[in-house]
This record gives sequence, structure tokens and C-alpha cells, in this order.
Amino acid sequence: MTTNGEELSDGQPVLELRGMTKRFVDVVACDGVDLALRPGEIHGILGENGAGKSTLMRMTIGLVIPDAGSMSIDGEPCTIVDPIDAAKRGIGMVHQHYSLVDDLTVWENVALGEHGAIDRDATRSRVKSISLRYGLDVDPDAYVRDLSAGIRQRVEIIKCLRHQPRIIILDEPTSVLTPGESEYLFEVLGEGVRREGWAVALVSHKLDEVLQASDRITIMRDGKVVERVLTADADAPSLARAMVGRDVALRSESFALGASMEGAVAVTDTAASTDVAPVLEVENGAVRAADGAVLLDGLTVQVRPGEIVGVAGVEGNGQTTLARTLSSLIKLDAGTVRVDGEAIPTGKAGSMHRAGIAVIPADRHHSGCIPEMTVAENLVLSSLDAMSDRGILRREDIAARAGELIEEFDIHTSGCDVPFAQLSGGNQQRAVLARALSINPKVLVAHQPTRGLDVGAIEYIGDRLRAAADSGIGVLLLSTDLGEIAALSDRIVVIYRGRIIGEMDRASLDMERLGLLIGGSTAGEATP
Amino acid sequence: MTDLKPRRVMVERFHLTDRGRSGIEMVLLYVLSIGGAILLSGALVAVTGNSWSAVFGALMDGAFLAPGRWGDTLVVAAPMLLVALGMVIGVKAGFFNIGQEGQLLMGAMAMGWVGTRWGGPGPVLLMLGLLLGLVAGGAWSGIAAVMRFRRGVPEVISTLLLVFIALQVGGFAVTTDWLLRDLDANRPSRAVASAALPENIRLPVIRIFGNEFNIGFLIAFVMALVVAFLLVRTVWGFRLRVLGHNPNVAQKTGVAATRMGSAALFLSGGLAGLAGAVMLAGGASGFRVTTGFSQNIGWQGLLVALLARSRPLVAIPMAILFAALRTGSGFLAATGVDRKIVDVVQALLVLALLIPPAIQFIRQRRKALAQAAEEA
Repeated sequence: MTTNGEELSDGQPVLELRGMTKRFVDVVACDGVDLALRPGEIHGILGENGAGKSTLMRMTIGLVIPDAGSMSIDGEPCTIVDPIDAAKRGIGMVHQHYSLVDDLTVWENVALGEHGAIDRDATRSRVKSISLRYGLDVDPDAYVRDLSAGIRQRVEIIKCLRHQPRIIILDEPTSVLTPGESEYLFEVLGEGVRREGWAVALVSHKLDEVLQASDRITIMRDGKVVERVLTADADAPSLARAMVGRDVALRSESFALGASMEGAVAVTDTAASTDVAPVLEVENGAVRAADGAVLLDGLTVQVRPGEIVGVAGVEGNGQTTLARTLSSLIKLDAGTVRVDGEAIPTGKAGSMHRAGIAVIPADRHHSGCIPEMTVAENLVLSSLDAMSDRGILRREDIAARAGELIEEFDIHTSGCDVPFAQLSGGNQQRAVLARALSINPKVLVAHQPTRGLDVGAIEYIGDRLRAAADSGIGVLLLSTDLGEIAALSDRIVVIYRGRIIGEMDRASLDMERLGLLIGGSTAGEATP
Repeated sequence: MTDLKPRRVMVERFHLTDRGRSGIEMVLLYVLSIGGAILLSGALVAVTGNSWSAVFGALMDGAFLAPGRWGDTLVVAAPMLLVALGMVIGVKAGFFNIGQEGQLLMGAMAMGWVGTRWGGPGPVLLMLGLLLGLVAGGAWSGIAAVMRFRRGVPEVISTLLLVFIALQVGGFAVTTDWLLRDLDANRPSRAVASAALPENIRLPVIRIFGNEFNIGFLIAFVMALVVAFLLVRTVWGFRLRVLGHNPNVAQKTGVAATRMGSAALFLSGGLAGLAGAVMLAGGASGFRVTTGFSQNIGWQGLLVALLARSRPLVAIPMAILFAALRTGSGFLAATGVDRKIVDVVQALLVLALLIPPAIQFIRQRRKALAQAAEEA
């Protein structure tokens, strides 16, 4: 739309999207996006979480119906109503989350999407031939539950390829793959593109990967296309700048100015003086999942009283494991957690809580609240001892305390005895925050504290975190939203594959370098 | 994809009106489904060529109206209620103990052992017997707790299988000298039943309005109040409920599943054990422990808890209802209808009472799914 992507055109596009727009109530996920996919080309679509990439792709295969915009395939205008329709027209998608049935074999999974009678031998030989042709090396008789993430993805690719698509969409294909598996995937893709003339859309937020695999790049931000380049002309720093966006940096500055720039600066100064002992220290934290996947890989981070440390990074790089460790939910395989210099046993019920760590989890329903219990019960959950006499709950005190918190945190509820589930998302989050702060914690861990909230609630939570830090609490903010990190943090560290790979002060905040780091590219580290 | 959920205001309003409407709907659903169950039962009786009104009359007479019958109903209701309360504690903590039939037998055996083997003043022995009955039932479910928390064996399976072991233990005990075997070598049935509890170790009996019943029901009634109080008014009960609803929140706020869950499972079995002790001291099987002593009370108590939907005070009328069907069925022979009809009626009632909550559950789930799909 604003940029002239057509200039780059050097072949007839097989798929063209024009002015694709999708609103979710009053949020515009995609705003007049144009995109052209050409045969024999991998088209990288780059953007942060929430930039509108996935919505665009879901519109393309009919999972989301656009509010406005038009599509054409081979120059013929068309409307795609659902994924089956899309498959008929030669569009296939490999989703970010696999939809495979663990207890079925590979060929059975492939047969799941078919109509009519199941022809076992035909399906098996089909799987074998696709597997052979693209070097995917998948055994049709293996059970899916026995396969690694990388092989499972190959099964998904086979499911996609059996319809012989000309247009293939990959949504964050490497998010669960090892570097080796990612490389292999791109080899297979490149082969298909060269030999069969596929038009591939590669949706990703990983700079290095898009640079390495694509021919052409479209960068999206806030639902719009902000830049289109040929990969040959692109470099990581400029992509990072475009992806994160100058206006994000501007917005964050104004945010901080409006909220508490003074406090932030003052705190930064004290925080910068390293003679203040950290209130929270995680040292060489390492965790492996039951299946051997590395969740934390020697992660070290420190938080001093009164500072907000922002942990930036793409989702799935260990943030959840870190937050759950600090919620006593996960036991570290190695490493220590210290509060005020004292080592806290990990994975022991309530140990982190007793040590003064309050956690706002990314998923409230996982460890943040109990929807079936009342609002009041949820609010006093962490302070029962203060609300009881020799084991008997003092109900008046609970009601009074809940009333105070409801008022202080402006939680909209029809009463404190209604089920927590009846609160709206924003009010549930306020309640979770209220409870976290009500225990006068030494450390507040906030993991995606504003995800899914409306603008007012986002601002409110941001102000509260700032205020908490100003009152001397050490705040650890885990977020995938760089704008939020930049707006609130005194110090920013970057988490990647379970470890901290970079750090910068608020004063030396460099969005470009930050963008590079969260993409796992430490190239910028040579000349920091 | 989109990070915002601007539907907040709408959702809030929707909930407020939704609540009142669904309340009326629920009552209507209950009326319809119970009515349906009664109609079906009536039809069943009619098909077998009998009179529904005669059957209903016989049931009412047998359960409440005939002389001395409601006392009997209360005697039966007591252990059912205790078993149900145990179930409630387990469910509230998130654990399903379904082995009450066996735990109850263990409790009865403990009572019998104290009563027939220990010496001492009657009231003291009675108290000790009840207490040991509780401990024995708790120990039996405690085995399931150990397996659950040491090895991850699902307690649903282990408690159930322990029932069959308990039955074997019962058979062993009544034929073993140092356990429960009747030392009177001349009694003909000593191979299947223990000696009777001495008279001074039996539960006191209340006589009122021509009915007589032992204080078992009072014990159960008081326990219902205690359990209700524990769950709602104490820190312990609060933590137990937190564990049952969300083990992650529990772990985070310092409720260790191992300790709290073991306590819940122990108490759950303990109350079933107490039920067994109360039954024995209240005169079941002529104050003798037999291998078939439990008489399905363990299973029926489970149903009581299910129908009360884990609310201890609601379990009181539910236990009386189930006990009434049981005692009432004794009067059915006169009508020419097989007493098994009561089992069918009972099953229909259980289904009827479960349909409305099931519908509600499915609806809520659909709503949640629709909401989640919208937000995704």
C-alpha cells in the first residue's frame, strides 16, 4: 500500500492479496495489506508477535474471513471460504502448532484429512513417495508419539504436500526446532521451490532465518506493511529497525515521560551503582524437560531493589520456565535462586512465596487464580495466615480486605462473593496483581502482565509496576512486547534459548541491537 | 493474534442477566428430569402388571410411615452420610476415593476387634472402637495415598482395587483366632461371622414416637456440620479447596499436594471406616463382622456424595432419601413387585439428578470454548 512493492516484481505472482483488512471488534489486526507471492520464491514475512502476520495468513487459507480486501490466484479473482477450499486451489499451510494425533501412526494421521474410505496401502505409499521425493525421511508406520518435534513437523509438511499445493505457507516453522532441524527444513523448502516452483510464504520473527532462507521480505508492524525489500538488499540491522519500529521507541519514551520519567531516571542511577545488593539472583539456572528439551540453559539474572529488569525475548525461550521456577512450580536441575542473598529451595511448595517473591503468571488460569472460587477468596489466597485465628478464617476480615483491594485496584465486580470467573479478563488481571502486591513482596515477577488487556488496563498495570519498583520492590518483567519492555525497564536483558545473551541499560537502549538480540543474532555483540 | 479483548463490558452485562435466567432454568430442568424419572419408574411398574400407586405407598410405608420405620431409615442413613462426607473431602481436594466399600469393612473390623478382644469399661471401648475404626479406614485409603504420591498410581484405581483386598482380609480375619474369629467353638456360623459385640459396647439407642434408632445418625449429622465448617470456615479447608481447584496455585502458595492430598485421602477413608464402626456398633449383621458386612453402603454413599454435588449439608437429605429407598423396598414384597425395582428407581433418580448439572457443564464449556475461539 504505502510502499511500492510492485517495483520489485520480476515475475507473474501466483497469489495476490490486495487491501486485506481484518478488525477484531475495535482492534485492527490487518490494515489494508497487499502481498504478492511468486512461483519459485520464498517470501519472508517478518514482524513482532502481534504484528498481524498470522491473521494475514489465516485469511489466505480461509481460517479467518477478511472484512475487506481481495485475492486473486493466477490473476483470477477468487474468494476462499475455508481451508478445504484453499487446498483445492493449491494453497497449503503448515501451522505453528501441530495438529497430529499422538496415538496414531504417521500414515493414519495423513489419512485423517481424506474423504471417503481409507486406503491404507495407497496412503502409506503416498507418504513414502513424498518422503522420498523431498528427502523428508519419515516412516509411515511410526507412531507420532515417538517422533521428535522436527519429524512431527515433517509429518505436517507431508500432510500439506499430499494435496500438491503450489502455494505453501509456513507459520513460525522453526519455533520448536533445533538449529540443525531448521537448516534441514530450509534445505527441503529450497529444493521444492527450485524444482517444483512453489511459492512459499515464510512467516517468522527470526531475522537470521528470514535473511538466510528468503528471496524477498515483507515487514509488518501493527497490522501494516512497513517495508518490502529484496533479501539480497537487506541486512539484519535495518530489518530489526523496521520490525521494532522507530515509533515504538518514540511511544515508549512518551510513555515513560508521562508516567514517571523522574522516578525511572533516579532509580536507574541507584540501580546502576552496583553496590546495592541484588534482592533476587538466579544463578546458572538449568532445567530440562522430561523429553530432554533444554528449557533453561545456565540462566543468570539479577534484580536489585527498586529497579525493573525487563527480560526481552521471543516467546518460548525460557520465560515460562523462569516464571514457574520463581513460583515454586519447577525444580531447577542446577543453579540457585537467592533472595536477599539467601538460597531458596526450588520446587518446594510455597518456598518462593515465603521468601517474598510474588508472581503474575502469563497464563492466569495456570497458576494465577481459581475461577471457581469467589473474588474475595482469590484476593486473600496468599495471606490466609493474616486472615485467620488459630486456623479459623475471620470472614469479616476477609471481606474487608477484599473490599479494600477491590477499591484500591479498581476491580469492577458486582460483589466480593461472586465467582472469580465472572470477572472480565482485565479485572481478573487487576485482581491477580492486587494479590501479588498485597503480600508486600520483595520481588515481583510479571510475565506478560498486559497480554490480552485493553489499553486502559495496560496503562494501569504499567503504572503499578513502576510504582512497585519506586517503593523498593525488585521487579522482573518478562515480556515479548518490546514496546512494553522499553517503556518500563531500567535495565533490559535478552533471553534466548534458555539463557541471557545480552544486556543493556535504559540509558544505552538501542532498539536495533535489541531487535537483533531477540532474534538470537549476537552478531551485533562484536561491536556493542 | 490480536492482543486486546474489548468485549469486557459486554461480557460483564451478559453475565449479570445470565445468572438469574440460568437459575430458573436449572430449577425447571430438575423438575423435568425428576418428573421424567418418576414417570419412567411408574411405566416400568405398570408394564410388569402392577399398580404404581401401591408400590409408592409401600415404599413410603416401609421408609417412614409404618410403625418404627423412620427410625430404621435413619439407622441406614448414618453410614451412607459418613461415607458421602469422606467422598466430599476427597473430591474437594481433587482426589477420587471410590474404595469406601473396603474402607468401611476395615473400620468395622477394627471396631469388632476392639469390642471382642480388648477389655475395659464399655463406653471407653466404644469410643476407642469408633476411633480405631476411623484410623483403620484411613490407613486403608492411606495405602492408596502412598502409592499416589510415591509412584503416581491413580487413586481412583488403587482405592477401588483395595476393596477386593479388604474383602479377603475380612475373610481371613473372621477365621483367624487372634483377630476376629468367634472363640465360642460351638456356634455354627463361626466360619463366616465374628462374635457379637458385647452389649455394653453398642451405640446407645434413642426411643422416640414409637421409633428407635441408635445415635449413629447423630454422629453422622454432627460430622456433616464439622466437615462443612472445616471446608468453608478454616484455613485448612480453604487450602484443601485450593488444591482441588488448582494444584499449581496450591503449590505456589505453599500447599504441598503430597501432604494435603494424603490428609484428604486419609480422612476420606477414615470417615468410611467410621461408618463401618458405627454400623457394627449400631447392630448391623447382628453386631457381628461378616465378609459381606458392607452391604453396598460404601457404593451408595458414593452416589449420595455425587448427588449432593460435594456439598456436605446437602448430603444429609440425600442420604436420607437413599436410605428411605432401601428400607422402603423391604415392604415391596406385599405388592408383588420385585424389590429390585428399587434399584432401577434409584438408578433413574441418580440419572435424573445428574442431568441438569451435566447440561449446565456442557453449556459452560461450549461458552468457554466459543469465547476462547473468539479470542484466539
